[in-house]
Amino acid sequence: MVEMAQIAERGQFDMMFLADGNGVRQMDKPALFAANSPSDRPAVFEPVTLFAALAQHTTRLGLVATATTTYEEPFSIARKFASLDHLSSGRAGWNLVTTQYVEDAKNFGRDEHMGRVERYERAQESLDVVRALWDSWATDAFPQDKATGRYLDPDRVRLTNHRGTHFAVKGPLNVARTPQGQPVVFMAGQSDAGKELAAYGGEGLFGTASSKAQAQKEYADIKGRMPKYGRPPDALKILPALSVFVGRTRAEADALYEELQGLIAPSLAVSYLSKLVGFDLTDAPLDGPMPASPGESVGGTAIGRSVLEMAAREGLSVRGTYERLLPSMGGNMVKGDPVEVADMMEDWYTSKACDGFMLSMPVQPRSLRDFVDLVVPELQRRGLRPPAYRGATLRENMGLPLPADPFLP
Amino acid sequence: MMHLACIPNLVGGHLGGWRHRDAFDRPVMNLEAFIEMSQIAERGKFDCVFLADGNGVRDMDRPALFAANHPSARPSFFEPTTLLSAVSMVTRHIGLVATATSTYDEPWMVARRFASMDHISKGRAGWNLVTASNAGDALNFGRSEHMGREDRYARAQEFYEVVAALWDSWADDAFPQDKTSGQYLDPTRVRPIEHSGPHFTVKGPLNISRTPQGRPIVFMAGQSAPGVELAARYADALFGAGTTKQDCIDAYADLKGRMARYGRSPHALKILPGVSVFTGRTAAEAEDLYQELQSLISPALGVHYLSKMLVHDLETLPLDGPLPFADLAEETLGGSSLRRYIIDMARRDGLTLRETYQRTLPALGGPVFKGSPTQVADEMEDWWRSKAGDGFTIMAPVQPRGLSDFVDLVVPELQRRSIFRKEYETTTLRGHLGLPAPPSRWHAAPAKPEAGAA
Repeated sequence: MVEMAQIAERGQFDMMFLADGNGVRQMDKPALFAANSPSDRPAVFEPVTLFAALAQHTTRLGLVATATTTYEEPFSIARKFASLDHLSSGRAGWNLVTTQYVEDAKNFGRDEHMGRVERYERAQESLDVVRALWDSWATDAFPQDKATGRYLDPDRVRLTNHRGTHFAVKGPLNVARTPQGQPVVFMAGQSDAGKELAAYGGEGLFGTASSKAQAQKEYADIKGRMPKYGRPPDALKILPALSVFVGRTRAEADALYEELQGLIAPSLAVSYLSKLVGFDLTDAPLDGPMPASPGESVGGTAIGRSVLEMAAREGLSVRGTYERLLPSMGGNMVKGDPVEVADMMEDWYTSKACDGFMLSMPVQPRSLRDFVDLVVPELQRRGLRPPAYRGATLRENMGLPLPADPFLP
Repeated sequence: MMHLACIPNLVGGHLGGWRHRDAFDRPVMNLEAFIEMSQIAERGKFDCVFLADGNGVRDMDRPALFAANHPSARPSFFEPTTLLSAVSMVTRHIGLVATATSTYDEPWMVARRFASMDHISKGRAGWNLVTASNAGDALNFGRSEHMGREDRYARAQEFYEVVAALWDSWADDAFPQDKTSGQYLDPTRVRPIEHSGPHFTVKGPLNISRTPQGRPIVFMAGQSAPGVELAARYADALFGAGTTKQDCIDAYADLKGRMARYGRSPHALKILPGVSVFTGRTAAEAEDLYQELQSLISPALGVHYLSKMLVHDLETLPLDGPLPFADLAEETLGGSSLRRYIIDMARRDGLTLRETYQRTLPALGGPVFKGSPTQVADEMEDWWRSKAGDGFTIMAPVQPRGLSDFVDLVVPELQRRSIFRKEYETTTLRGHLGLPAPPSRWHAAPAKPEAGAA
């Protein structure tokens, strides 16, 4: 992970992002579990502790970690991200998620998973509380004056005193105001409630659009929702996922793609597709048509729905569906030489399909290194990426405003 | 061999310590200073650093005390597992012990953070399990009432059992990660924990592979009867809070004596009483430091702080009069054995209010080892040979001077006497503490506690 972070920093990436969950997936489906997909995340670092460590090996790279409002307390979330922001000198980001996996609920004493409406109400309240906690102290609340004995200024701190539907939190947070004022808040929700929450309070949004037209539509939709919250469209950056297969030449990129396809066993592919669509396809014939969803599940995802729509629209078989999807996990993909990859990225960016990209890479560390060595210089040559980091904090590098210190006039 | 932990808080263990000219100038959220402290401790071959913690800003309901500005209320402090994960990147041997509460946290979250830290530090993580005793913290977690001690300890026991089971989710060899065969994990080498109890229902397994230490080391600090019983059953190490040598000897014998009924050897738990060390090249230098620091505690801070320790408002009383013993008789929820000790000491020695805070505040009521390096080492060796502890948790009044003086002056003396290590012999905290490998359900069944044991 240290190597990956350092490669990303060498490429002047704004940030590194860690998805996360609170459960080992697929254990209720032994065949899928045995098919050995590491992307079920059976063993991963807790992301905030990992980033606290990586912050010691990097100086500019933003560090965005996932935490769920569904099972975590706002006080604990506010504290660990404030701590990370101090530890990294202003490079922390919180990816706010609501947990949609039914299995994770069982690790927190809940048999039933929360429905989407309740999850998003809770998420919004949690976000409000976390931000109020981050605003507990004025920037100058700790004079630490040895001569007078004045360690803190008791007039420069205030209680949160939140009483809402889901939480009651007195505050203040026991962490001083952070270098970024507040860590940057990311989201990833694609549902209507998720988009609304992003417009309300997100500063970064990870998109899943699989076509430029869809990305443009979502971009306009979400940015269009922001004025009613008094927010300029620039205050939220939308970064759709993009899988990049790049080589020095197009042939090299194609060769990598084909080689990787050959490493996916059909059993693994079917398990993965099952996970994406949210139901078990193990018994479906490989070359038969994609079955329809058995029903709207509580944990159904936007990606799963768009996969099923695509399969139905194009009449794909199970094999045809996974061959199309797995190289990029169902998201958008680009394959080619550095100029072709940069062309695609420039096209999306200048067509208001996005403010940037969330890159996912097929083979690590090779693919990230190739991107940094081959594509980044091309993007810089076109003026689409700065030649060096613009600032020291994630906020500065993303071009996001510094939140106002509520104690200042 | 003696074991040594230290508390690397930047403001020092003395209430006036942060104001001393040799103290860190900007202790609030100062990562570089924590790194310096940890590296000093590692230079001194300490077993571990130990971070206390809480989930709230203390004393805001006592505006006068809050305004009197004592940093020991921890108004601003790193979340400890993130801080120690960072520190693990710039240290190689020293153990890293962080506090987390069983009262407001979830077992899943605690199991995961500490397992993650154990991997990140390559086997140096420790969890100090506390049941939050500060009533104010409850208000940050949607609870208006603080849990009583019985409830807190019943929950703590179940909490520990869930965390330990989660740490045992995966066998050591569960991840072949074989590129050729495509076998990333072995599905027969993991099991859910299926825990269902009065406080928690947790299915498992944990989403982290078995850690370098098998399980992170578990510290406890409870001095109450249920706390001691829980430590006898499950703790790997105990942060002791005895106020005198005899207290510590009694507590040591009591706790170690309780372990047999859980099938545990007394060596499987290390007791490290907290002591404040005031030292210098000579006894006179140590005494000067002590007196200098006393002058940095204002009467306002002294009285307000003692009011807090005694859970009683002393503000209106004359500084040179006695304590109001009649009013101090009743017990309090969240009050500690320390409160009783201070009251007894003041009555026994006929102390005034001023004398009581002057005697109490330099070490917050705990034992003080003051003197030349030889005198401090004598006292440590005496306590250690008398079975008052398996070692100590060292608190120094002014940082980083206090810790570096201890490392440069006292540690060599302990090493000369061959009662403390000259070099690290292992790379894990478990190794430093000389603790046995933890039980795992993937190996032979661990000893079962006696039926009916509390």
